[in-house]
Amino acid sequence: MVLEIRALTLEFEGLRALEGVSLTVAPGALHALVGPNGAGKTSLLNCVGGFYAPTGGRVSFGGAPIHGLRPHRVAAHGIARTFQFVELFRHMTVLDNILLGRHRHMRAGVAAGALFWGRSRREEALHRRRVEEIIEFLELERHRKEPIATLPFGVQKLVGIGRALALEPALLLLDEPSTGMNREEKENLARFLLRIKHELGVTMLWVEHDMELVGDLADAVSVLDFGQKIAEGPAAAVLRDPRVAEAYLGRAFVRERGAE
Amino acid sequence: MDTRLRRVAVAALVVALLLLPRFGSSFVLDLAAQTALAAVGALALNLLTGLAGQISLGHAGFLATGAFTTAALVESGWRSPLVTLPAAALVGALLGVIVGIPSLRLKGLYLALGTLAMHHVVLYGAGELQTRWGVNTGYTIPPPRLGALVLKGTVPWYYALVAVAAAALVLAVNLQRSRAGWMAIRDREIAAESVGIDVARYKILAFVWSSAATSVAGALFAYYRGFVSVEAFSFFLAIEYVAMIVIGGLGSALGAVLGAGFVTLLPHGIDAAVGAVRLPGGVEYYLFPAKFGAFGLLMALFLIFEPQGLVGIWRRVRNWVFLWPFRHRPLRAAS
Repeated sequence: MVLEIRALTLEFEGLRALEGVSLTVAPGALHALVGPNGAGKTSLLNCVGGFYAPTGGRVSFGGAPIHGLRPHRVAAHGIARTFQFVELFRHMTVLDNILLGRHRHMRAGVAAGALFWGRSRREEALHRRRVEEIIEFLELERHRKEPIATLPFGVQKLVGIGRALALEPALLLLDEPSTGMNREEKENLARFLLRIKHELGVTMLWVEHDMELVGDLADAVSVLDFGQKIAEGPAAAVLRDPRVAEAYLGRAFVRERGAE
Repeated sequence: MDTRLRRVAVAALVVALLLLPRFGSSFVLDLAAQTALAAVGALALNLLTGLAGQISLGHAGFLATGAFTTAALVESGWRSPLVTLPAAALVGALLGVIVGIPSLRLKGLYLALGTLAMHHVVLYGAGELQTRWGVNTGYTIPPPRLGALVLKGTVPWYYALVAVAAAALVLAVNLQRSRAGWMAIRDREIAAESVGIDVARYKILAFVWSSAATSVAGALFAYYRGFVSVEAFSFFLAIEYVAMIVIGGLGSALGAVLGAGFVTLLPHGIDAAVGAVRLPGGVEYYLFPAKFGAFGLLMALFLIFEPQGLVGIWRRVRNWVFLWPFRHRPLRAAS
């Protein structure tokens, strides 16, 4: 299913966070979204995820409009997200956090849950099996029963991805998954991203600051600067684009380097 | 292994509770019944505050709702508990919706104030009801009757209330296991939304189930006391329930029950302590305020030294017994 963003605008009291951004994420693609701090990358993810209501433009996923929906309705469309600062349930274990990601697939009501009978009981075994598969997939076995608060940040970020995968999403929104990871963890992350793409077939819109990762992994890259899209295309071409260098480094620096 | 031990412990507890009337005086049975009744209310409040994270100072109001629904129905001739208890649950649930809606906007202290307002509105309404029916002191409630069965006397009431509390405990434990969504809302609302939890619906649901259960507890209270009046549902009662779940250990069903026992028995404990010491005359005069003071002091001490409450102490003691003579579990525990 294709994610289409058309002329998306987001304004906060006169401040334009996004100005007419259009973006198409092809099905099955690992689509990176880069740009300097404050370019509007997270704002764009929040618009897609339903955390912000865009002031203009449209977002559709698989043909269904999703802009302006509440986050839980967006999740119901098969869109999951991770957060820059993980936003996990800190007092719960890794397993329970990922289990919560199964919420969308749980059908038993409160009464059935209170009696723990019938559907509620059958469901629990099924969901726990799925969670174990995700734990295995992300190699989190040794942390299974540990509370989130005790884990290193890099592992917490993986748990965040695990929780999002538990939704069995068609589209995964990743907000800087590599931040706070050391080199080894980043290499693992790269491996997981590729496995998610190839084995699970999940489409990903991926906000990232690490250009090396983006250059190695992304199928397509879109660049935002001051709320506008300034470049788009395959990673190799986009990262060489002088406008992109200018957005990151400033005009003076680029001119200076060009003169060398 | 753990499960088997737990089963043995539960079985032992059930036997002890069943045999208590053979050994306990009617005073002890009355205290146990009161504890059981308080446990139902505390479990309901724990669902709302401990699990879903919605602070409520209106618990006495919800109890009053059940008690006065029962009183009004009994006065009107609907005496069967088959009518009054479901009616109490229904009215409680309805009030839960009304109070729950502001919770979508209000958080923390502001929500506490909102529920406090509800408490005063309910008590005002109950007071009006009392004067309208011309019973200034309160309603007398006859014992509940089902056909030829009449629930009367200390021992039958003890069994009935303990059974109700046990059922409430089982439901609460299961809910905690199967509906983690509530805890998710308490911990991180944004993250809860992102995994597809309808936060608004879940908050309202927490209020509805909690207040329905509390209202039923209020109805049982009315039957058990045989008398309903506004004075029984003071703001202090609401504080007592908050104390139960805090002292017991927020978010734990077992904690709610332990806390209910602690708070119910504390005043009697202080009485007994003072009685045993036999201080010179005049001390009894200060006893009443001393109880309030002890209450506040204990709550503060628990918050400072044992934030996990009685259930935290229980877990530590249990682990100490299990691991003795070691201090820690071996690194690779055989499970």
